[in-house]
Amino acid sequence: MSARNPGTQLDLEWVSKVKVNTQAVLRRAQYIQGLKLPKKQWQAAWLLKAITCIDLTTLAGDDTPSNVHRLCMKAIQPVQYEHLKKMDMHDKGVTTGAVCVYPSRVADAVKSLKAANSNLPVASVATGFPAGQTPLETRLTEVRMAVADGATEIDIVINRTLALTGQWEAMYDEICQFREACGDAHMKTILAIGELGTFANVYKASLVAMMAGSDFIKTSTGKESVNATYPVAIVMVRAIRDYFLRTGHKVGFKPAGGIRTAKESLVWLLLIKEELGNDWLTPHLFRLGASSLLADIERQIYHHVTGQYAAYHELPMA
Amino acid sequence: MAGTTTKTVHDIFQSMEYGPAATSSTATARAWLDSHSCSLGLFIAGQFVRPLDRQTRSVVDSKGALVCSTVCALQADILQCASSAVKGFEAWSGLSCYQRSKVLLRLASTLGQHGQSVAELCDLCGASCSSSSLVRLLQYYSGSAQLRDALVANWTPLGVVLVVVSDDCTFHSLMLKVLPALAMGNSVMVVPGQSTAPPALLLAQLFMAAGLPAGALNVLTGGDMSLAADVAQNSSIAYVTYSGNKQDAVKLCKATAGMGVPVSVSPNIGATCPIIIFESADINSAVDDVLETAFKKKKEAHWVLCVQESVLDSVMARLRLRMAGLKCVSLPDDGVRVLVETAVQDAQNKGATLVQSCAVPSSTQYPPTVLCGAAPSSPCVVMPSPGPLLPLVTFRSNTEAVTLGNHSPHGQAACIWTEDLTLALETYKSLSVGSVWVNSHPLSDPCLPVSGHKDSGTCTDGGQEGLYQFLRPSSSSVLPRASPVALDYAKFGTDPPPVIIPDQTAGTLKSYTHFVAGKACKSESGASVVVRPQGGGDVLGYCPDGGQKDVRNAVEAAIKVQPGWMKKSPPARAQHILSLAKGLEGKRQVLAATICGQTGLPMEEAHMEVELSIARLSDWAAYCDKVHGGTLPVPQAGTGLSIPEALGVVGVVLPDEHLLLSTVTLLGAALASGNAVVMVPSPEYPLPALAIIQVLLSSDLPAGLVNIITGRRDQLTKALANHSVIKAIWYWGNSEGCQYLQHTCTSPLKTLRLFCQTDKDGNHRGRDWTRPSVLEEFWRNAVQWKSVWIPTA
Repeated sequence: MSARNPGTQLDLEWVSKVKVNTQAVLRRAQYIQGLKLPKKQWQAAWLLKAITCIDLTTLAGDDTPSNVHRLCMKAIQPVQYEHLKKMDMHDKGVTTGAVCVYPSRVADAVKSLKAANSNLPVASVATGFPAGQTPLETRLTEVRMAVADGATEIDIVINRTLALTGQWEAMYDEICQFREACGDAHMKTILAIGELGTFANVYKASLVAMMAGSDFIKTSTGKESVNATYPVAIVMVRAIRDYFLRTGHKVGFKPAGGIRTAKESLVWLLLIKEELGNDWLTPHLFRLGASSLLADIERQIYHHVTGQYAAYHELPMA
Repeated sequence: MAGTTTKTVHDIFQSMEYGPAATSSTATARAWLDSHSCSLGLFIAGQFVRPLDRQTRSVVDSKGALVCSTVCALQADILQCASSAVKGFEAWSGLSCYQRSKVLLRLASTLGQHGQSVAELCDLCGASCSSSSLVRLLQYYSGSAQLRDALVANWTPLGVVLVVVSDDCTFHSLMLKVLPALAMGNSVMVVPGQSTAPPALLLAQLFMAAGLPAGALNVLTGGDMSLAADVAQNSSIAYVTYSGNKQDAVKLCKATAGMGVPVSVSPNIGATCPIIIFESADINSAVDDVLETAFKKKKEAHWVLCVQESVLDSVMARLRLRMAGLKCVSLPDDGVRVLVETAVQDAQNKGATLVQSCAVPSSTQYPPTVLCGAAPSSPCVVMPSPGPLLPLVTFRSNTEAVTLGNHSPHGQAACIWTEDLTLALETYKSLSVGSVWVNSHPLSDPCLPVSGHKDSGTCTDGGQEGLYQFLRPSSSSVLPRASPVALDYAKFGTDPPPVIIPDQTAGTLKSYTHFVAGKACKSESGASVVVRPQGGGDVLGYCPDGGQKDVRNAVEAAIKVQPGWMKKSPPARAQHILSLAKGLEGKRQVLAATICGQTGLPMEEAHMEVELSIARLSDWAAYCDKVHGGTLPVPQAGTGLSIPEALGVVGVVLPDEHLLLSTVTLLGAALASGNAVVMVPSPEYPLPALAIIQVLLSSDLPAGLVNIITGRRDQLTKALANHSVIKAIWYWGNSEGCQYLQHTCTSPLKTLRLFCQTDKDGNHRGRDWTRPSVLEEFWRNAVQWKSVWIPTA
């Protein structure tokens, strides 16, 4: 991965000056959704790019070593070899960005990937996912244990109580401690935007998370009622842009929850390209948190290669 | 599977570039054009007419390829068209409101089916207009048509309306004139511009299919503005209204001067408009919207970006970042490119720094360019060139932002960006422009009145307010038509003053004073004119022979106090006007005697006129806080407001009849809505108007708000016409005066209400000043509208 975000001092003056006009953001989101999507080989290339940015995720109570193993295998060969070969992409390292599991399944995932000779990163959610309502001490321990098990990316959730009551300093301190606990593992901070109330709050939480040294900011856990929406994403990537303008550090962005279709993944790429530019269109700075998205993208690529629409059972299972 | 290009999936995977822009299909539009062999005729009496032996004009697309040709109509075509329009008016105005509304609705649903072809045709001809915006227009105006008699009772359609647009006008602006005219029951003759001609013809055809009576909508195509003037000459035209650029607006006004037909213009293309970004703005959103607004493919306004100094760096940083992704704009030809390059060079020489999306290519493409550090005095702001240029100026305080935004001859529109509610409300109030968008790029909807202030227009389009230009009070009579005479505009109103020979009565007769800047005084020149009673007789006295200097003094005083008067609370204005009415009451006897002496009316009738005048002023006092704007039903989420505002300083050349009542009516109309006035009493019979001076002297009105200047009508008309501060002139007089004003008041544009008091045969033509309907008529003449749109949830 590229240079990490070292974070900055907490700048409360900057946080307090934040202005977000809701209607203008909604209009911008409408505009981006109205843009023409790429077609033909552009579509295929963009979809492959989307695959490389996917954090292929399973976060269920009934996860066991066997379905985690299947997930890992799918992650290292997300598109059938022969289809990739027809596009001359078979040797370009098309894998998903990472696999993402609960802390207790990290060891299984690391084992499966090692067995397959893959150095695909394993990401783990932590810190009392999804609610974050456990004592700080246990949340920190959770992070340390996941890292010890071999996770190289940790998705932490912020304490919404602190954000909603405007205790930015306390939130900054917590995230700083998580970052320390992560060590060399990259930290993705989940803002749970569905529970932050206003766009201005989303913007402020994004800024504080970045100041505290997050390598990524992530929209949601996928467990809230509101997931990744384009307007919220615009607010967050603008915060990323402003942080970059001010500090020169590039922070990544990860929308998660409810992203299911190939078309949606293209809109996400468009949004990033429009708002942040091509620099951010890499797995180092952009991830899509998803589980069922891959199957739809695969179908579209199947269609691009063969001219036929596939039935789901024709595609290898995850 | 690979496309036509050689880009491989891997190349694109690396570069993450956009694919080639999809070219939109124009198949249905082409098919329609082909069915007319790509040579379009005129649309007269419900069908296409293709007269032989006419010159043609080519319509080309954005790449310069021929799309089709249109015919240049001749006099014979105009006659045929006019008689069809007269028949069309009979049929169309004879229908019920419901039936007219139904036709508009039917067209709206036809567009659901054939909207594609209209939109494609607009695209092809460079007059872009989405079919959804046309459908919205039709739905809105079908409602207006349905409720005409309920909403605007006691008003009646004008007859045949001529709608003219310039070559660069959008199809939407054209329809914003045509549809309300039709909805109110008028028949319409359209003289479209080059790019709007094909879609106008297609829409006329679709209108027929929707059940519009033949002749209710006719389209005449031609070469330039001279066709519009030729059509306006036709005596069946009741009203001419124009949309487009300023140059053609001036041409049209001058060419139609003296025809006795009212002309209104909306020069909505090419106005300079400010975008103001305060430090309290959501700067990210503001910058995004600014780029979308300022670098649109088709530039309708010249935007100037005004940024508060404290956030300049922040705005610039985002501009640099966002502009990197913008594509070059193609310029129409090399001539324009030279203009653009000169403007950029000139700005750079004066210290402006450039923000460009890319290096300047050597084709007819030009990158969007922000000229940062331009000054309000730089040529790129004063005389904006075409092309994707956006000057950026800075301001220090909120007040300075308003000053900067207002310091322009134009008053079309403005965008303001701030999250501070109070600041937003205060700023939109202080900006003298017709449309204000708060935290948004320009949005348009037919429910919003669009009324250019200052040099940006003389009428209101859109909204309920925009319907009145196509109506007249049912009780009013149709104005007589005239033919322009050979008038030496330079010599108008320059006759030397008449010589007064002193005789034995000198010294015994009264010398009246006029009223300038709150003082009763003589004229600057010191000269006088004699006053005789109506019907002739012995000299009654002398009154000042006012001229240009008197008008100048009056306007100077007026513009000082008018803003304060406008800002006064409506109840306070009402109190002032009521006290004027009381003043008149106190002078009942004197006023009646003056009317008697001046006109020879029986005392009883004179008393009646005084009573009516007192009642009229009381009406106006009540108007102050009872009639106002309101909230608009904008279709998107948000708050829309329409607000009537004062015009500023109004010049009134008073009629020769109902001397007291007409003076008081017009004075009250101007004052009630917040204007200052410079009034010129009837030159023959000035005494009743002068009698009011005594009332004014003892009133508490600010000095200079009301001025009464006596003298010769032509001299004073000329003086009013040549003062740029005066925004409107209401004129009663002869046809030469009307012609002079129409010809002269074009730069800046003045809103003119011209009433020729004599018809062709020299007979006096009066109006009934006692009817209450004059109240609404003149209130509407005394205000200009401002619309505000604040997108909110």
